[in-house]
Amino acid sequence: MANDLKVLLIEDDTIEIMKLHRVVSSLPLNYKIIEAKNGEEALDILEKKDEIPDIILLDLNMPKISGIEFLSILKENPSLKYIPTIILTTSNNQKDLLECYKIGIAGYILKPLKYEDYVSKIEKLLAYWSINELI
Amino acid sequence: MSQIQIDILQRALNREKAARKQSEKILEDKSLQLFNATQELKEANEKLELLLEEKTSQLQGVFENINDAYLIMDLEGNALKMNDAAIELFGYDLKTERFNVVNLIYKPDANYAFKSFKELRKKGFFTDYTARIITKSKAVKWVQINASLIYDKSKQAIAAQGIIRDITETRRTSELIKEQKIELEKSNDELQEYAHIVSHDLKSPLRSINALVSWIKEDNSGKLDAASLQNFELIETTLEKMEQLISGILLYSSIGSESVKKEKTNLNMLLEDVKQILFIPEHISIKILNELPVVYGDKVKLQQLFQNLISNAIKFNDKEKGLIEIDVQEEKSFYQFSIKDNGIGIDKKYHDKIFKIFHSLNKTKESTGIGLSIVKKIVDLFKGEIWIESEPNIGTTFYFTLKK
Amino acid sequence: MKGIVFTEFLDLVEDKFGLEMVDKIIAQSELESEGIYTSVGTYEFSEMLQLLKNLSANTNISIDDLLLVYAEHFFSVLKISYPDLIATYKDPIEMLASIENHIHVEVRKIYPDAELPTFNVLEKTENSLTMIYKSSRAMHHFGLGLMNKTFEHFSATATIVIEKIKEDGTEVKFIINKN
Repeated sequence: MANDLKVLLIEDDTIEIMKLHRVVSSLPLNYKIIEAKNGEEALDILEKKDEIPDIILLDLNMPKISGIEFLSILKENPSLKYIPTIILTTSNNQKDLLECYKIGIAGYILKPLKYEDYVSKIEKLLAYWSINELI
Repeated sequence: MSQIQIDILQRALNREKAARKQSEKILEDKSLQLFNATQELKEANEKLELLLEEKTSQLQGVFENINDAYLIMDLEGNALKMNDAAIELFGYDLKTERFNVVNLIYKPDANYAFKSFKELRKKGFFTDYTARIITKSKAVKWVQINASLIYDKSKQAIAAQGIIRDITETRRTSELIKEQKIELEKSNDELQEYAHIVSHDLKSPLRSINALVSWIKEDNSGKLDAASLQNFELIETTLEKMEQLISGILLYSSIGSESVKKEKTNLNMLLEDVKQILFIPEHISIKILNELPVVYGDKVKLQQLFQNLISNAIKFNDKEKGLIEIDVQEEKSFYQFSIKDNGIGIDKKYHDKIFKIFHSLNKTKESTGIGLSIVKKIVDLFKGEIWIESEPNIGTTFYFTLKK
Repeated sequence: MKGIVFTEFLDLVEDKFGLEMVDKIIAQSELESEGIYTSVGTYEFSEMLQLLKNLSANTNISIDDLLLVYAEHFFSVLKISYPDLIATYKDPIEMLASIENHIHVEVRKIYPDAELPTFNVLEKTENSLTMIYKSSRAMHHFGLGLMNKTFEHFSATATIVIEKIKEDGTEVKFIINKN
């Protein structure tokens, strides 16, 4: 029996947000997407505690605090650090990849050019986390 | 006196006379020998004197003409003799004043100076002493000194001599180069970061356009005419092309600035990997003519190098049976590789241009014009050279060398 | 053999036995030099041997005794000719012990072609010395005479025993004990 996943998407690009919504709406399962335009907004949402997500999808290149900075803050928080965080980014910079895994991530996914490839990746990602036992 | 006694005396006298003559003869011979020996000695002495004079004037010449400062001092450090270069460097002139080399010691280097002087006394020499001195005009200069003791006939040290090279300028230059190198490395790293950010920023809109195009197609499924569908396809192809270009530029800019990971790389194994990665059509065969060497270098870059050249050879092959031959020749300090194809060939007028970035001769979907410039950059990194021999329609051979 | 050994020998013969004896032994010997000797020349040793033999025959004195006497005379010749060399020594044992390493070295400087016997020191104390004499000439008694005179020169006496190692006298042991 799959869970209803609550996904926190931290992403500043409107079309990227639209893309995730469109993929999710085409899927048969129920997903709740919580949007945050940047790290601060995401932290505000997480601090309220009424909408703690099951997983976080995090973009790296963002204004104000960057994805990596956000990740560090998250992983220092004793209760929030357990939320699986998956990086969703364009950057295949070896340095970023290494840094993210060092801090602690549950996955690192490159945004593909083609929408159909994107659909395929997101479907797999959501399917995977749907069958996981989560805290 | 009896006749017998007279005879005895007579004989004794004769013997004495004969003995006298004999001794005179021996003495004469000895005198002649002595004379000849003296004569020889005199000649030998004259030759020695000439030689000595020659050596002295040679030494004098060296003393006056060497560009480095030369100084002789007694064991208490009092300067005894110095050449013009030394006068110019130190500012002291023995013709008008006396000075002790202690005056030259720059205080922060004093310990080192005294330690080195002790070493000179103990070992009889020191080499490449590098420290600062302070001249008469209070200027601080960097010098390098090689010194040795001078001994008298009984092997007693009586003085010391040293050649002092002014390395102030050299040091300044090398420090400047060091600074510039650090700066360059920093700006290279920044550039690298910048390339990543730019490529991200450039790729994002492409992705968005692609998503939007597919949504329009999806949402208007069945409503679009053939021409519109074809135009949408063209948009998608253009986007792909654009993305490849951006990736290529990023790759090009990252070569050489990333920290180089050097490891022993077996090229035979590396080429097997390359063959796995590349799509090799059935009509093309790749032959490796000789056992390839094990080289020392960044494996990823070596793979890029071979992969780019081989994929070019595949891409630009128009023959029914395509043949790619890879060969190597070992030279003293480098390996010379060749990758030969029987493809479309390259006209001579383009031979110089092909390694320059964005100079793709065949702008197709697969070709961005960056591949060969990446190849060139990698070969440069290995301090090697790359060149081609090619004839249109017959084929192309790429030659490159990798330093051992 | 150096001429001085011949001239001094014949002088001594003339002194002790008269000019007739000199004339006689020269006439009795077959000498290449015809008995004409000068101190600066060099002559065959066999001539000395013949002269000694004939003198011994004519005087009924053994060759060894003749050599002993001649050596004692020869020491005084050396004393006059090379006083500085002898003056470097303060003690007869010291002087005899250094025949090989000092005196003969000096001799060779003056007479490069001199054929000298070897004296190897076996044992040396303050008052005793044991040396091995080796020479094809077998003139150890000449050595003995010189040694006696050496002690006399330093106003000392010694008991010197000669032990033949080889019967022909070409190798003998000198055992010297200062009294």
